[in-house]
Amino acid sequence: MRVHTRSRRVLLGFAAAGASLALVAGCASSSSTPGDNSGGGGGDDKTLVFGASADPQVIYGPYVSDGESLRVIDQIFETLVALKPGTTEVQPGLAESWSASENNLDWTFKLREGVKFHDGTDFNADAVCFNFERWYNFKGAAQDSNLTYYWQTVFGGFKTRDNDAVPETSIYKSCDAPDATTAVIHLTSPNSSFIPALVIPAFSIASPTALDKYGDSVEVSGDSVNFTGTFGTEHPVGTGPYAFKSWTPGDKLEIVRYDDYWGDKAKIKTVIFKPIADGPARKQALEAGDIDGYDFVAPEDITALQASYQVLERPAFNVGYLGMNQNSGDLGNQKFREAIAYSLDRESLLKAKYPPGSEVATQFMPPTLWGWNPDVVTYPYDPAKAKAALQESGIKNPSVEFWYPSGVSRPYMPDPTAVFQAFKANLEAVGIKVVPKTAAWTPDYLKAVQQDGKAGLYLLGWTGDWADPSNFIGTFFGRANSPDWGYTDQAVQDGLKAALQEPDQAKREQMYKDLNAKIMEDLPGVPFVHNKSFLAFQTYVTGYTPSPVSLEQFAAVDITKG
Amino acid sequence: MSTLSPELIPNPDEELIYAGEPNEETTGGSQWREAVRTLRRSPLAIIGMIMIAFFLVVAIFAPWIAPYDPGDGQWLNQITPGNYPGPSAEHWLGLDQLGRDVFSRLVWGARQSLIIGVVSLVIGASAGILLGLIAGAFGGWIDTVCMRIVDIMLSIPGLLFAIGLAALLGQSLTSVMIAIAVVNVPIFARLLRGQMLGQRRADYVLAATSVGVSRSGIVFRHVLPNSLTAVIVQGTLTLATSIIDAAGLAFLGLSSPDPSVAEWGRMLTDAQSALSTAPMLAILPGVAIVITALGFTLVGEQMREALDPKYRR
Repeated sequence: MRVHTRSRRVLLGFAAAGASLALVAGCASSSSTPGDNSGGGGGDDKTLVFGASADPQVIYGPYVSDGESLRVIDQIFETLVALKPGTTEVQPGLAESWSASENNLDWTFKLREGVKFHDGTDFNADAVCFNFERWYNFKGAAQDSNLTYYWQTVFGGFKTRDNDAVPETSIYKSCDAPDATTAVIHLTSPNSSFIPALVIPAFSIASPTALDKYGDSVEVSGDSVNFTGTFGTEHPVGTGPYAFKSWTPGDKLEIVRYDDYWGDKAKIKTVIFKPIADGPARKQALEAGDIDGYDFVAPEDITALQASYQVLERPAFNVGYLGMNQNSGDLGNQKFREAIAYSLDRESLLKAKYPPGSEVATQFMPPTLWGWNPDVVTYPYDPAKAKAALQESGIKNPSVEFWYPSGVSRPYMPDPTAVFQAFKANLEAVGIKVVPKTAAWTPDYLKAVQQDGKAGLYLLGWTGDWADPSNFIGTFFGRANSPDWGYTDQAVQDGLKAALQEPDQAKREQMYKDLNAKIMEDLPGVPFVHNKSFLAFQTYVTGYTPSPVSLEQFAAVDITKG
Repeated sequence: MSTLSPELIPNPDEELIYAGEPNEETTGGSQWREAVRTLRRSPLAIIGMIMIAFFLVVAIFAPWIAPYDPGDGQWLNQITPGNYPGPSAEHWLGLDQLGRDVFSRLVWGARQSLIIGVVSLVIGASAGILLGLIAGAFGGWIDTVCMRIVDIMLSIPGLLFAIGLAALLGQSLTSVMIAIAVVNVPIFARLLRGQMLGQRRADYVLAATSVGVSRSGIVFRHVLPNSLTAVIVQGTLTLATSIIDAAGLAFLGLSSPDPSVAEWGRMLTDAQSALSTAPMLAILPGVAIVITALGFTLVGEQMREALDPKYRR
């Protein structure tokens, strides 16, 4: 999941204004009492109110990449391949099974029968191909990398190339529907992250009838995105356990149980997503009973909330790291980088400033992901070793420019300023002079660090989108040009490319393990944390299973109060 | 500045500031002697001076008073979220959220406040005095232009102006000092010009003119020195607001790009997240800001009373 550089600020502003209005309004109205279980009928009119941190951008998978949009889309729509709840393991979704041709280019999906879209039309192979073809044929504004980020990341380019930033080639070739329950997707090159990536709600199957009727056209001008087609704003139609009911941006988004759902039907009739941008306000809303649960509990609130609420832990599926740009100053010197790594007291930092359960990272991907190597070289806190390595490096008066972002909180880095200060103190303690530099997260900081390669040391991180090492180390070190690392080891790049095309899973796993070992030996940066995030719920809410990639099903959630 | 403006008679709509007593006493040291006598009798002034003296000693001798380096985080391993060790023999005021000695940070924060306060005051007052001097000495259209600039600057709320300027100049200590200085410019310019206009009608100026003293001589030897007492009083008061402004800007994130520099305003910001569990982390820098600003305000106000004949009883 990534950060939006466009339109988010505006939306956040709306959301904040809306949230405060909603709070004010909440005092006067009781129309959406949370956890409402009155009125008999076996609790069939149960309502759950969830405090989200923002409104969705739009309720149409292919156009989004932010968590709040994906959260809602994941309830209304389904993908061919799904995730086992609470894990990153794939399981059948709308496709009951799938298989690849010998050369891994043609993927045959056997589709589930008897599935209907919320508008009553049939889900079948034609619908699958309709969606894939639609994505592949996106034109003009829809090719903006802020909209079709996931398509461009997983599949590459489109049929036409209307924008210089779009990848030149696409691994997608075509889609056939030999019969109603068989869809065949043809790729142009083998890609082992194709199946695991299909779980992302960006690739969810929408009703072709509704899409044609309402449209998904979009206009982008400057910093604003205008969804002129109303499919994603007023008429999203999928096959999921919940159907869209209404959306008042800034106030609430309501979804209701889809009674003809093919699988286990949702336990709660109505789920309302209330955008509350301010973290403390979400906590107050829970305490006031205005909401039944919320996401992104602040680390310092956890202990207090545990007394009277449920605090659920989302497994860590991210990595925060200290990047060391080898093109900057003395950072090309391996011994100098080792000195920096040994000087950092990551354990104390995590204990002081991160929620309980966060782990010191030893490599650039979380231990829950296959391909993680338990035997990589580690650089535990050891000032004496750091000083020795500094001596060996032969650098006189060592000094580094250290960049940190301001005004941002990321899942792997709730408080960047604190991380910076702790590391700065560590570095100075072994005699490395630190020149502090800071900028606003977007666009200045990310541009300075990732595009312009201005930073020496810098703080950054990544949250995984799908369970594949290529989504971690592939993203970091697979690029031929990397201004942020100044590290373009040919062996690593070739290894990553080979691993992506290797069909044998056992071999792939070993390849990634070896790559992790090699990368940590070269030490392009110091990974320092795999952080957990937290949700809080009223005690009567049951069945919510946090997912490492934040794809959580509300259909399994229930309210049990007398 | 060889000629003084011919319009020695001020416009009737110009503000009238008391011109001081037209005898030699106002220009000599006796005015100050009397002021010191008045101040000594004022308990408020004495309290203020003790506060200032305390602040100055702490700020100037910070490296010797503070037991540790303010950025030293070697006690980070004693910290867990919401749980910060309180006062102990080793750390008199406990540790902050990043395992740093709070007492050392407060002491170094005093030095930082003093530096920002004095530098911005010197820049702001110098520029303001220059502007006021030009306006007051030349009068006419020059005066009008200068004063309209001052009016425009005054029409923008000071802190807001400083925030905008600091944001525009980028995040650095220099830009903070410049921002605060710029806010102070119109205050001094207006004050000095008003004083000088008042002095111009004074009998001793007429006397000096009549015996043939040159106009620059009148401005620099008579009018300016007589106007400076008010400026000094204003300077003391401005030091208080400058320290508060610096803390305010730091609280909003506008200060040195190095967040580990000990600054009272920044300490307040950092303490926010721990307000419910460790209120002392916010109270201590808050008290430091209040004491320092109060000290300068008390002394400034008492000085104004002692020096300004309007207040004399």
